[in-house]
Amino acid sequence: MSDNDTPETETDGGTGIVPPDDETPTWSERKERTQGLSRLTYEYFERARREDQDLRQESSYVERDVLGFPAWPHEMIRNLALTSFFVGMIVFLSATLPPEMMPPANSSSTPAVILPDWYLYWSFGLLKLGPLNPDLALLGGKSLMADRTYGVLANLVVVGAITIVPFLNKGAARRPVEQPFWASVGVFGVIFAFTVAVLSVKNLVPMDSHLLFDLTFLLPFVGGFIAYAILKSMREGYMFTLNRRYYRLRPPK
Amino acid sequence: MADEFAKGLGILTTAGLAWMVLAGWYTTASFAEGQLLAPPPSDPGVYASIGLFLKDALFWFAVLGALTFWVVVPLVEQAREAWAERSS
Repeated sequence: MSDNDTPETETDGGTGIVPPDDETPTWSERKERTQGLSRLTYEYFERARREDQDLRQESSYVERDVLGFPAWPHEMIRNLALTSFFVGMIVFLSATLPPEMMPPANSSSTPAVILPDWYLYWSFGLLKLGPLNPDLALLGGKSLMADRTYGVLANLVVVGAITIVPFLNKGAARRPVEQPFWASVGVFGVIFAFTVAVLSVKNLVPMDSHLLFDLTFLLPFVGGFIAYAILKSMREGYMFTLNRRYYRLRPPK
Repeated sequence: MADEFAKGLGILTTAGLAWMVLAGWYTTASFAEGQLLAPPPSDPGVYASIGLFLKDALFWFAVLGALTFWVVVPLVEQAREAWAERSS
């Protein structure tokens, strides 16, 4: 929606000048953003602010908490463009590179390597945590449970932790910088999912398996700490108020 | 800077996609191993030789085009800026 399309209910006398509110940047702040991506971002948000203000000034507009861009045409055109691109890509690839027709599976022979589908490697890796199963002195150096029971329990623990996270953190932040701790927890989880998946195929990885086992649990912490440090240092200069204004999708706590 | 990145990425992905399709047609013996990188046919016909030539051309276009916009153009611009600062 360009400025020409707005209905003639403006109170600015057609000058395009609107009175500043407390979110409007000062002239010195405007001058700081004169080029490149910062300029583009600034113009985008400034224009969005103007449209927002026009909407507020229309008499039929109902004041509400949720402010965003109208679904039509803004969101729909973008979604249609993305959908068309991916549908076109699927049609193009299936027309030009049809997948090979493999021979049917032979149910009477067992394959040499038995693995679940790749997206279940993390769960398969959690079954291989035998070295972490503690030998208890109380039981005379025996473990409390078998390694396989321990692996299944590890699955329950990880799935349980993922289930609990949404209750611990309501996710009010719109960007990782706003909550570095939870963002680094997320980085930890992503890296751990990857390393434990690698652990599940440890006999195919050209690396000492003890080192691989240690790295499986070390790398997630390293990644998490690095993410935390980077996000903490990114908080300098981050425009919290601007972000909060345009992504006010939930009521404040 | 962002424009140069987008140009390089566009060249890399578009030319890479066309390379992948042509390699899938002409230099793929089987999808099990050596996919896209198998040796080309020994006596290609006219269309196959056009396709093979186009495949190589697109491959180098993808590599050199991306390198140009990501490395060479920024380097030249920085050098020109430095030169302008020096002479002023």
